[in-house]
Amino acid sequence: MKHDPTLTRNFCIIAHVDHGKTTLSDRLLEYTSTIAKRVMTDQHLDSMDLEKERGITIKMHPVTMTYPAKDGKTYKLNLMDTPGHVDFSYEVSRSLAACEGALLLIDAAQGVEAQTVANAHLAFTQGLKIIPVINKIDLPSANLELCTRQLEDILTIPAEEVILASGKSGIGIEEILEAVISRIPPPRWSDYPTTRMLVFDSKYDSYRGVISHVRVFSGTFKAGEMMMLMSSGQKSEIKEVGMFHPGMIKCKELRPGDVGYIVSNIKSVDEIKIGDTITHANKPAAEMLPGYKEVHPMVYCGLYPLESSDYEKLKVALGKLRLNDSALQYQQETSVALGFGFRCGFLGLLHMEILQERIRREYDVDIISTYPSVVYRVKKHGGQVIEVDNPVNLPDPASIEEISEPTIKASIHIPNEFLGDMMSLIMEKRGSCDHTDTLDSTRVMLTCTLPLNEILVDFNDRLKSITHGYGSMDYELGDYRPSDLVKMEILVNGDPVDAFACIVHRSKAETQGRSLCEKLAEIIPPQMFKIAVQAAIGGKIIARDNVREMRKDVTAKCYGGDISRKRKLLDKQKEGKKKMKQIGKVSIPPDAFIQVLKTNH
Amino acid sequence: MVEFPPAQEKAETPLGLYVHVPFCATTCDFCAFYQTVPQGDAVPRYLEAVAAETARVEWAGRRVATVFWGGGTPGLLRARELRQLGEATLRCSGGPPEEWSVELAPATVTPDRLAVLQELGVTRISLGVQSFNAGLLDALGRQHMPAQVYRAYELIRAQGFASVNLDLMFALPGQSEEQWRADLAEALRLAPDHLSTYCLTFEEDTALWVKLSQGKVKLDPEKEAAFYRRTWEFLEESGYAQYEISNFARPGHACRHNLNTWRMHEWVGLGPSAASQFGGWRGSNPPDLALWLTEVAAGRRAQADQTRLTPGLLAVDSVVFGLRMNEGVRLPRLRRRFPTARWEALMDFLPKLIIEGLAEASVEGRLWLTPRGRLLADSIGSAIIAAFPSENLTPIL
Repeated sequence: MKHDPTLTRNFCIIAHVDHGKTTLSDRLLEYTSTIAKRVMTDQHLDSMDLEKERGITIKMHPVTMTYPAKDGKTYKLNLMDTPGHVDFSYEVSRSLAACEGALLLIDAAQGVEAQTVANAHLAFTQGLKIIPVINKIDLPSANLELCTRQLEDILTIPAEEVILASGKSGIGIEEILEAVISRIPPPRWSDYPTTRMLVFDSKYDSYRGVISHVRVFSGTFKAGEMMMLMSSGQKSEIKEVGMFHPGMIKCKELRPGDVGYIVSNIKSVDEIKIGDTITHANKPAAEMLPGYKEVHPMVYCGLYPLESSDYEKLKVALGKLRLNDSALQYQQETSVALGFGFRCGFLGLLHMEILQERIRREYDVDIISTYPSVVYRVKKHGGQVIEVDNPVNLPDPASIEEISEPTIKASIHIPNEFLGDMMSLIMEKRGSCDHTDTLDSTRVMLTCTLPLNEILVDFNDRLKSITHGYGSMDYELGDYRPSDLVKMEILVNGDPVDAFACIVHRSKAETQGRSLCEKLAEIIPPQMFKIAVQAAIGGKIIARDNVREMRKDVTAKCYGGDISRKRKLLDKQKEGKKKMKQIGKVSIPPDAFIQVLKTNH
Repeated sequence: MVEFPPAQEKAETPLGLYVHVPFCATTCDFCAFYQTVPQGDAVPRYLEAVAAETARVEWAGRRVATVFWGGGTPGLLRARELRQLGEATLRCSGGPPEEWSVELAPATVTPDRLAVLQELGVTRISLGVQSFNAGLLDALGRQHMPAQVYRAYELIRAQGFASVNLDLMFALPGQSEEQWRADLAEALRLAPDHLSTYCLTFEEDTALWVKLSQGKVKLDPEKEAAFYRRTWEFLEESGYAQYEISNFARPGHACRHNLNTWRMHEWVGLGPSAASQFGGWRGSNPPDLALWLTEVAAGRRAQADQTRLTPGLLAVDSVVFGLRMNEGVRLPRLRRRFPTARWEALMDFLPKLIIEGLAEASVEGRLWLTPRGRLLADSIGSAIIAAFPSENLTPIL
């Protein structure tokens, strides 16, 4: 059969968390008999347990469906599932770039949320055709009128384009599939003179090496051919090509418009970057597909094993996780307080949390993380600019001309009644509100600029608590802005504890310092000597608290018969102290750090 | 090469003899000392074995300076049994000891027993009063009423022993400061020569420990510290000088046997669970009557937890346990006694105690703990042990 790219449609589903994206995908797979009903586990495309538990998709998993349409032709539909979180927005954008259209899913009861807007905008900028779908219409609380109006008002999507559906009960599935064919254009750029395909994901397989998920734009790719990565010029032989049905099935060749996978000689996910363009080595394309960029970690923290003997286990865990996740970066570091560990870089907070959780669960290593930090740009006198992701590495203040911090553009959706409280939170977090839009009679959307480091710790929790769970937020990274930032150190008995060092805005140093000192003073067990816990900026103490003094530790009866026993007991106490983290002369139980860091997260 | 303690241990320091009488009528909630209810021929076999054990000790002509009979309840022995134990004691002491203490429970004090004890040469009676408050005595599971305490005290005084001690306990569950003060005042009214006041301790293997772990009683270090302080102040004002954490005496009535222990001299322990520090070794008898009988019959003694007494170990322990006493330790004297110990290791730590107000020192090198320091004696002790890096216990395999 001659390959006809006009019989292919590539699309994805974009939605806010929990709006039913995965369930809807499953219905589409069922309807097209891609997966028999009986082998469907709930939510087929989310393969990691953690993803199911959190109801979010971290990694995309494409699938090819065959659909005999009402026009009598049989179409090949490639569905890309996309991660729903801003941490992975670059990956989302590459996934979108592999499509010509998107289903925009809205929960009939919830309406348009922050992420809906953010993702819709991403899709618009990629030039995608959007098909609005209102999902969960069979819910008693469904408000179709509100949803349609929001779509028109906020996203300027005409009401007559809306498809009503329910992933759960299978309503509207056929209508969606027909719309995919009639409204989404066939694969673009297929007549480009040379071969090009886009890499939108890579997985590591211990037997076959790197398996890259690709979308072919022009030309064909077969096993045995020499390919070239356009960002680096690296060449490699293609070992295998195939498609997802939904499992990986080998095929003869990938043709224009196809979504599938390739296996080459490349052994590391580092070398095939997401967003890269692959072309034939002997007749390379003149230009890459648009939109490629290198992703850099935005959030850093130190990860340390609780048991120092677990260091090797942690190293192995990070190594394995990185095989599948080139966005994770790590390098060895040592902390006075926590021993040997790793400085790790993440795309964002969720990425950080997920990886920490996976290390604990899948690799069974108990870890503790230091205070998270963003990447600061430090301009030194003389013009040299360095990037600092660990407060410990901040140069001498005397040599610093200016420190800039990353900001975010946040779009926050909240019910009207919480506007006042939300504005105070934004103020507290050193943010500014750029404009306020009315979503409907009950909801507003705030567009604000906030420093990234202010949302690291508890911003989202506070947002949820202020709005009783009804608020939502999405953000994209903004620019770097100069800011009055200082390094705050925490000293125990005069000795700095590196794990607690952080870079803070001068105006917040005292409050934050006091709270850290208080918590630490409370958690350190009572001491024999007077021990101060202090917060300091450049040697100047800005807050202090005292560790509780031990009141009584004496044996009442200690006679001839008790000497041996007592001696052993005292020896044991001494051994117990060895297991504690020694900060100068103070012994601190290792979980003190966790408790402080936990209460701060 | 292990160095043995210098010769001065042998001749110049006093030797104590402790005899553990393991019998009790019932078990007190707070007591962790080894005791058993006497059954069958347990008492005669015990008395014979004590005599046999004295023969196993290599006395090498050493004279016993002080004797202490503790328990258990030595008073549970009948008058003639006390005489038999006393005779065995005198056979090895090399003459009448300077001080001879016997612990008695109020319910066991009878004229015939006291007469035998005085005849033997006992100089000091220690009466286990615990409290004068009937309710608190009940709560402790004790076996006497306040009235028995008064009667016992009268009988002891009438017999004319040189020194009488009363044991009291404080920080009992539900005890108020006023109640404790009343107990102390009542004890002072009787005008004993010596007072031991013990903060209730939760020892493993006691009924109280079980209650503690079940959450029925709670530890309250703040309250305990307050009780301690009040006790020390009150007794000091009343003419009873504190000489150790839990011990107070009128001039000349401090218990020499116990001072001997805290000064890390030597003592021989007889009977089940009794500990010895003698002839270069430290060790205990098994805390079980039957097992101890077997050991004695086999010619073995003090083999549990055997530790070789190196000068380093004795040096550390002299400081750790010496600091429990108000007189503290005379560092120059200890340095002369254990010249090879690594004293320099301590010299970083000790000044810190002084700076922090936990200890004081005199120009001639005596170091003692302040009241706050005494309340933290265990923490200070383990810090001192940690400061001497190489002086860990050397168990014998």
